Amino acid sequence: MRAQTLIVVALSLALQGCGFAWRALKRNLSAPPERAVAHKIVDPRRPEARLAALWVGHATVLLQLDDRFVLTDPVFQHTLSQASPRLVEPGIDPERIPALAAVVVSHMHFDHLSFSSLDLVEQRTPVVLVPPGVRANMPRYDFEIRELESWASYEHDGLRITAVPVQHVGGRYALDAAFETRAFTGYVFEYHGLSVYFGGDTGYIPSAFAATHARFPNLSLALIPICPDAPRDFMQYTHVGPNQALDAFALLGARQMIPIHFDTYINSDDAQGACPNELRAQMRARGLSEQQVSILAVGEQRVLVEK
Amino acid sequence: MSPAAAVGIWAVAQLVPSPLLVIGNEHVGGGMRWQLTPILYSFGIAERPWRTFLVSPIARHSGSIELHVSPEWACCAPNEQNSWLVRAGLRLYLPLLEHGEKLSWSVGGSYYRAAGGGSGSADLGLFTFNGAFGLNVTVSPWLARREVITALTIRLF
Repeated sequence: MRAQTLIVVALSLALQGCGFAWRALKRNLSAPPERAVAHKIVDPRRPEARLAALWVGHATVLLQLDDRFVLTDPVFQHTLSQASPRLVEPGIDPERIPALAAVVVSHMHFDHLSFSSLDLVEQRTPVVLVPPGVRANMPRYDFEIRELESWASYEHDGLRITAVPVQHVGGRYALDAAFETRAFTGYVFEYHGLSVYFGGDTGYIPSAFAATHARFPNLSLALIPICPDAPRDFMQYTHVGPNQALDAFALLGARQMIPIHFDTYINSDDAQGACPNELRAQMRARGLSEQQVSILAVGEQRVLVEK
Repeated sequence: MSPAAAVGIWAVAQLVPSPLLVIGNEHVGGGMRWQLTPILYSFGIAERPWRTFLVSPIARHSGSIELHVSPEWACCAPNEQNSWLVRAGLRLYLPLLEHGEKLSWSVGGSYYRAAGGGSGSADLGLFTFNGAFGLNVTVSPWLARREVITALTIRLF
């Protein structure tokens, strides 16, 4: 009986998945041309800032922690996997990115691990941190590629980056999700008393968020994905929507949140603007201010802690 | 997922055949080809360059050399002979765009064994969509009525 139920659930999800994939493909084929970012930042170094974040788009964020810069999930590609065009250009030109202390990659999906984008920052970072199993699926680069298990840390010159658990799926080419069962993670960056959470892609896993809060009780900032949200049944395990993102924010106990992972590529049934609009509605319902949750435009940089 | 289930998924992926266009002297037909990789050395990958059977696309298309075994049914064998044949050979893959994920090419040589005997072949390929799709042209001058075979390669893993 249990086996039958599992088969029915698997078939149901597979059919839903096929339907969703077909709809996403149709929407991608009729996607509008890539939108330009007005007033793109030329020099992202902010001398007045202790903590600043520039949303490059999707899960790519350039973080400044005092005099250190880190870059999350760098993706500058105009088309993902030759099928999904970018809706808005990257929020900073890759050549404007300053010397980085590290790059982190949360998992191997094409919207998070872009080999050609890593080419663009290859000479600007000494290390790229990845979850277990990813190194064997990456080309050779000049930088060090270091795998971090959950709760393991990389430390250099006062900057500590710790891999933290999230709920997602590994793999890059669909089938390999079956083999790469540990190849996804979030990270916490710590430097000079500042600490920033980066969720990458995650489903709602209260135990992991609470455990991260227990280890990092004074998070200055949480970068949390809010999309894809629909179809919810299909996304439930792997992605938090706006509502659950705010639940995660509460469990993490961070002082501020910046939502990421929306309106850059089409990878769901969500209409453009649907996820941030829903987030705003949920913020109003919960009494959260825009100082607590800052919804950035692509290319916008926000100083979160001043000197 | 258990290792057995993972191997099962990989095995099912290997059953997907690549359709063939068979062009011989005075003849055009079809066929199907499968491919296994007993061993591959990737010089483009960051870690674990030696792979056996289970080869991720990036390990292959970022630059590698593989030993392949390819069972094949190519129509139109002469004198009502069995149309099955098997090839074994070496193939070099080189990346062209985005470390080979967007575009890569290959060149190889193989020995085939068919009902009428065996001899040598050479092949040239072009691959895209993370190596999932490609065109491979195999020339076998001594394989009667099946001298040139063009494969639309479909390889999910």
